[in-house]
Amino acid sequence: MLEDRISIFKASFQEHTELRAQVNTRRQVTLLNGNLVNNLRSDESGVSARVYKGGVYGFASGAEYTDERIKAVLAAAEENAKFMDMRIKKNKPRLPLVGTGKKELLHDVKDVEQKVYINYAKELDAYISERYPNLASRTIAVRADSMEKLLVVSDGFDSHSLMPRSFVYIFLSAEANDGTTVELFKPIGGFGYFNEIFTNPDALYEDIDKLYTELMKKAEGVYCEAGYKDVVMHPNLAGILAHEAVGHTVEADLVLGGSVAAHNLGKQVASELVTMVDFAHTALGETVHLPVYVDDEGTPAEDAVLIKDGILTGYMNNRETAQHFEMKPQGNARAYLFSDEPLIRMRNTAILPGKDKLEDMIASIEDGYYLTETNNGQADTTGEFMFGISMGYEIKNGKLGRAIRDTTISGVAFEMLKTVDMLSDDMVWSCSGMCGKKQPMPVGMGGPAVKCKVNIGGR
Amino acid sequence: MKANKEIAAYTLDALKKAGADHAQCIVSSGKVDEFNVDGGEFSLLRTLFNSSITMKALKDGKKGVISANKLDKESIDNAVKQCISAAESSVSDEAESIAPKIKNDNFVSGALSPDRDKFFDRLQEYVADVKNDYPKIILEQLVSKYVHSEIIFMNTNRAEFTYTYGNYDLSSMFSAHEGEKSSSFNGYYAKFDSLDKKLIDIGMQRTLFAESEQQIDTKPCAGKFVGKVIITPACLADILLISFGNFISDSTIIDGTSPWKSMLGKQVASDKLSVYTKPLDEQVVCGERFTGEGFMSENMEIIKDGVLKSFMLSNYGSRKTGFPRALNSSRNLFVQPGDTSLNDLVKSVDRGILLNRFSGGHPSTNGDFSGVAKNSFFIENGQITNALSETMISGNLVDMFKNITGISCETISDGVTVLPYILVDGITISGR
Repeated sequence: MLEDRISIFKASFQEHTELRAQVNTRRQVTLLNGNLVNNLRSDESGVSARVYKGGVYGFASGAEYTDERIKAVLAAAEENAKFMDMRIKKNKPRLPLVGTGKKELLHDVKDVEQKVYINYAKELDAYISERYPNLASRTIAVRADSMEKLLVVSDGFDSHSLMPRSFVYIFLSAEANDGTTVELFKPIGGFGYFNEIFTNPDALYEDIDKLYTELMKKAEGVYCEAGYKDVVMHPNLAGILAHEAVGHTVEADLVLGGSVAAHNLGKQVASELVTMVDFAHTALGETVHLPVYVDDEGTPAEDAVLIKDGILTGYMNNRETAQHFEMKPQGNARAYLFSDEPLIRMRNTAILPGKDKLEDMIASIEDGYYLTETNNGQADTTGEFMFGISMGYEIKNGKLGRAIRDTTISGVAFEMLKTVDMLSDDMVWSCSGMCGKKQPMPVGMGGPAVKCKVNIGGR
Repeated sequence: MKANKEIAAYTLDALKKAGADHAQCIVSSGKVDEFNVDGGEFSLLRTLFNSSITMKALKDGKKGVISANKLDKESIDNAVKQCISAAESSVSDEAESIAPKIKNDNFVSGALSPDRDKFFDRLQEYVADVKNDYPKIILEQLVSKYVHSEIIFMNTNRAEFTYTYGNYDLSSMFSAHEGEKSSSFNGYYAKFDSLDKKLIDIGMQRTLFAESEQQIDTKPCAGKFVGKVIITPACLADILLISFGNFISDSTIIDGTSPWKSMLGKQVASDKLSVYTKPLDEQVVCGERFTGEGFMSENMEIIKDGVLKSFMLSNYGSRKTGFPRALNSSRNLFVQPGDTSLNDLVKSVDRGILLNRFSGGHPSTNGDFSGVAKNSFFIENGQITNALSETMISGNLVDMFKNITGISCETISDGVTVLPYILVDGITISGR
């Protein structure tokens, strides 16, 4: 656990200052067809300071966590802030106040021995190898990461936080009906240390069997017909829809860069069925996957309601953009490594569930697709988004048909969301993803099954 | 460098004493000064005092790897223990090894003495140039930095390399705006080691800024057809790297799922295509001098006249499969230019698109791909017409390499890659 060596420097802060000590750990084990091709433990730690002066920031970081180095890092950040202020002369006022207080650590800091990951992966690999010898390839990837942060700010909430995540990714590939290879993968896991989530490999066998069954259907699958189609997205996809299609466009730094959301605040951007929230730490009465209580600018975190009954109601802000847009900062400024500055990031972004049943949603489509798994996505400041589809089925006359091959769907968010006419009454959360925006960042996302119209790639 | 060398030597000795049969270690230290612009305004100056160590131990053919950023004795002693423990828990693999000592060397490259004031002046000039010359462009984000680094590689076979380098780089994200209308964002990355010329004149930035201004008004492509696509240098690097990742890298050659697994020495592409990685080329800024496995880097042919000349295998991948290892592990892609001008390539397209950016799902191992044509233009009867939105392309990368029908004589250099425009046929293009 991080020792507090930074609080003593608080009295010396001249301008708005954030001083942060942080440890990031990564544990990786990869078995490719039984070969241990990756066996890595990585620890990155250090201290950073960020100082705000007249509308610009100075930042500095170093790996050594000693009084001498902390002083040097603070001095370098102050010098950088002065350099920028002198050269740029924005003359902006002080940042808005967010109250003061302290949030203590809520979870024990642990470490898990490498052999725990390796032995777990070996058992899963043995199960797959024995049970499914006809596979073209199998990969078991264990990934565990954690961020422990100790934050002291000149004006705001100090905090000590921890965010551990652990996942097992199972990749299977098989020969398809045309002699080529098809593949499918499944991430399993969530918040917590590996041995808190994964105690018995047997518990994953059902997921593996299901993944294999789906892969065999995909191996017999067909290419989608390219075009503008009616689709039902499984709840597995709703989160990435919320994140990619809408979430990035309402990050206030991208709004300032000219995103489509700049001109749509207060306007109808989605069907009245759609409400979308970036949850801080609690959603629908339960703790979310990646809870944030205080962000890395010392702002206490609260939910950011982005779309309410189809109306665009807000942005996600840091303290500086909140001042610009005259909004309340809600704790979206987060940094990935000790050496990274806080950026506006999503936390746990979700479309709220509706009242429909999945089977009714499928039954309502004459000719379209049911899309069940995704592998990546990308946003655009225009709202034109895409994400990759790695599993799905045709829908013909209200019934599921043949499986489909990999494809990509796209649309323009604020047009596509107006086509949403059914939302299921259930919800799926995931937090296996890393959002990329200058820095990587673990993010949570979720939502119900969504019926809408999108462009689908194909032949 | 002396301190890094002492740390590397200490680490190797500690790993041996702790039971490693073989070991290697990479130690680096350096400093980064980074300027940020957000929404067209300077926002941040960031200084990083960097250090890192990566150690690998082999014990009874079993591998453990530790990566950390603290270089004090206590931290290294702890990392050594973890490294041996990780190796002991690992799976024995005869393909694991460390590099032999062939010829040790010390390398120096780039701008070793930064000029922070001149660098900042150049960046201020750049922001002003963008505003003046391309008034519809907003620099959504600009991250530009100077990096100074000292790296040492050492292993227990006494292989040893050092590399001291310094370079600037620039990474931008921008879009064009008029009233409430805007283009898609686009981005550009370039590396440079001199501040002698205006930053806006590096690579193809002026072309991309001008094109973004033309992409404010867009139309979806009508219907669906199979047509030709001209891939721009900025987009070509991404497509080549994705393709080579799927077809000739460790994972799909080791597990045998690559569609090119038996194509070494055979025709995989149009005979117009030759592709290399050249970290030592003078147009590459501070290119790789030795690989992370401890081999001195050499330029390499990947495809020559359409024939696959080399996989991009690590030494581990090589020992695992019996195929030769790649001579470097860089991403410094070069494609041999053709003899047709870009203008003539456009004239040869009856119906197709100029593809500036591809935003798509990760292509399948078999090469199937689909995605959105971003920042792109429709081409009809040999003329570039309107900018596109909501237009998807799909096809197969294996087929795409065979269907290259033209390569431009013009190339673009950004300090990392040197690439021309290429024309491919047989891509499915679909709009609303």
